[in-house]
Amino acid sequence: MAVAEQQENPLLEGLRLRRTPDPCALVIFGASGDLTKRKLFPALYSLALRHLLPERFGIIGVARTEESDDDFREAMKAAVQEFGRDAFQQETWDWLAERTRYVATDFADEGGQQRLVGALNELDEKQGTSGNRVYYLAVPPSAIATLIHEIGKHRSTDGWTRLIVEKPFGRDLASAQELNAELQQSFEEREVFRIDHYLGKETVQNLLALRFANGIFEPIWNRQFVDHVQITVAESIGIEGRAAFYEQAGAIRDIFQNHLLQLVALTAMEPPIDFTAESVRNEKVKVLRAMHTPGPKHVVRGQYGQGFIEGEEVPGYRDEPGVARDSMTETFVAAKLFVDNWRWADTPFYVRAGKRLARRETTIAIEFKRAPHPPFEESAEGELQPNVLVVHIQPDEGVSLEFAAKVPGQGLTLRTVHMDFLYGGAFRTGIPEAYERLILDCLLGDTTLFTRSDEVEEQWSLVDAIVAFWKRDRPAFPNYEAGTWGPAAADELMRRDGRSWRRH
Amino acid sequence: MAAALGSIAEIERELGAQRVDPESGQPMQRTSVMTHLAWVPEQWVEAAEDVLSGLAERHPSRTIVLVPDPDAEDALEASVEVDCYPVGEHRKVSMETIRLKLCGKRVQAPASVVEPLLLPDLPVFLRWRGLPPFGEQPFEQLVDTVDRLIVDSTEWPGLPAPYGRLADIFDRVAVSDIAWARTSRWRAQLASLWPGIAGVRRIKVLGTEAQAHLLAGWLRSRLGRKIELEHEAADRLTGVELDGEPTPFPPGDPPDPADLLSDELERFTRDRVYEDAVSATRM
Repeated sequence: MAVAEQQENPLLEGLRLRRTPDPCALVIFGASGDLTKRKLFPALYSLALRHLLPERFGIIGVARTEESDDDFREAMKAAVQEFGRDAFQQETWDWLAERTRYVATDFADEGGQQRLVGALNELDEKQGTSGNRVYYLAVPPSAIATLIHEIGKHRSTDGWTRLIVEKPFGRDLASAQELNAELQQSFEEREVFRIDHYLGKETVQNLLALRFANGIFEPIWNRQFVDHVQITVAESIGIEGRAAFYEQAGAIRDIFQNHLLQLVALTAMEPPIDFTAESVRNEKVKVLRAMHTPGPKHVVRGQYGQGFIEGEEVPGYRDEPGVARDSMTETFVAAKLFVDNWRWADTPFYVRAGKRLARRETTIAIEFKRAPHPPFEESAEGELQPNVLVVHIQPDEGVSLEFAAKVPGQGLTLRTVHMDFLYGGAFRTGIPEAYERLILDCLLGDTTLFTRSDEVEEQWSLVDAIVAFWKRDRPAFPNYEAGTWGPAAADELMRRDGRSWRRH
Repeated sequence: MAAALGSIAEIERELGAQRVDPESGQPMQRTSVMTHLAWVPEQWVEAAEDVLSGLAERHPSRTIVLVPDPDAEDALEASVEVDCYPVGEHRKVSMETIRLKLCGKRVQAPASVVEPLLLPDLPVFLRWRGLPPFGEQPFEQLVDTVDRLIVDSTEWPGLPAPYGRLADIFDRVAVSDIAWARTSRWRAQLASLWPGIAGVRRIKVLGTEAQAHLLAGWLRSRLGRKIELEHEAADRLTGVELDGEPTPFPPGDPPDPADLLSDELERFTRDRVYEDAVSATRM
């Protein structure tokens, strides 16, 4: 037996064992908020349904609203039934509900902190969560610094502690640096999980698979073959009652600083040496550092006015409840960016993000240079289109390639055709929600899909430079109708370079 | 009912016709990740259809169901079905099932019927229901056509002798066994007993004969020595005893047959641990 103890277990070979997280307690600050209802509890339920949560697990919802454990459980059950992607199963819910508690407190108050510590100790005792803690800060940006400070002060001395911080992380470079400094006083970088839910999307991760697992793309993924890149993050919805947040943030802090720049980084990054968190994030940071500040001529901002979405009349931004009548908050931003390195020098990345655009769509389009000497020009009807590789992030997740084909019949008439790969068509197992993946990764301690402190600071540097230009002028808002593709100046941004946004 | 199709050309033509969306008149997008062959003697047709219906949506493929009827007059009788599934917000993709009845002498040359219908460059899986006729034409031909053979040795009489014939083809084709997949929860459970399990001399299995032989073969091959097997027949794997001591029941629910087959369709390489276990079933 003593010999066996020193040997590796030969029975484990070939077993496809899933890594399960350590026992732990998850504390959600902002438990009465929309994010908890729409995303976090449905994600936790889906993880429970697939037996991906540890058996010794507990959840504590924390918010100011006074309510009992039972009231909170009922509200979360209704949320899972309304927003969950899986059919509701009472047995799974009972498992989760049995492990769920609620603490009503304003965390700044010492009594509230003690109640939370008491509830956590009780979970350790009853559910065996071993002092391991994940704190999910689903709270407004203004509350984050206080929470980080208080959690740091009361952090458990047994087990590990991890912190998930929702975006936006700060509102400019200085505030992001302050938050990072506050975090670094009590936590190590590997304990901090700055969430950008776009990185949890399967299709965003598939971009890495497409680039680095296929030999055909990488050799042409550079300035020699790529004419330019277009990245669009378009929403058809308005601000959905979030005026207080959006008035402060605008499109540049809501989407551009995080989702959009992450997509640029993933598109432009060099192949990492492996897929560990540090390797992937090192490569992304290099791209962000290599992006130079575009001049004011290369950035367009817009704000939607009244218009029509799917045939229905919708109000302009300034007529949304809670928005100032003279608001100068941008709901659209477009920019021409450059990544100054050997791979991408002089290759423009045109990016745009906005609300109340013609349709909901997130795409990355790599437009290749035209064929050097097409012998068909005289017989082709219209201009021969360049090849475009489009990564569809949402909806209709997948990849398509546009290329020219001969129209059947006499002569040599060409037409652009699409070759489509539909992600959901090839893999029919159901795509997990981004929050499922990210919560599970955090429970497992894997930071690969989370943003590192230096990444966030690089993103804010670029945003600060853009916002600095905006202080000098006062555009005539609104400057685009709801239901269109943004202001005319965004088209002009491309037209100046002899290009145009892709037709959708 | 439409008349049976009697040639590959007629099958291709009918597939082309059915791929057009009747609502829009446009061709539907076809998505496939493999060709899935199923050899289904008449007595297995019902069970096979149940499993296939749960599978098509999860593994978009061209499924070719081969039903041999050696006593019928020499002929090929085929029907095709194109099913459509919604994908995302605006799209639909189609998947195809070809049912081929191989009558009379056609039973002896299935590869020549199947080859022209395989999707190019995609892996080919063959699910063989019942005990394969090792050494006989239809089986040997198809084994050389496919990338992976999937069997369920629970369906086999006279165990463990047929495992010897199965081991002979390991160098020609990767093999999956649903009976082996059904033991995975128990193998994980037994592995968790390491190092205490290292000295075990006797295993008693309450389950099917296949599960008993495979678990014993697995322990023998992994631990590298003889282990005695006692088997108590049951429809499902319900218990394992080691040297007379019952082992704890593994957590979770047993997967259903479509899930088990689905998991095997995601494997592309040889399962050396299974191959070793099969080779050790007769030790």
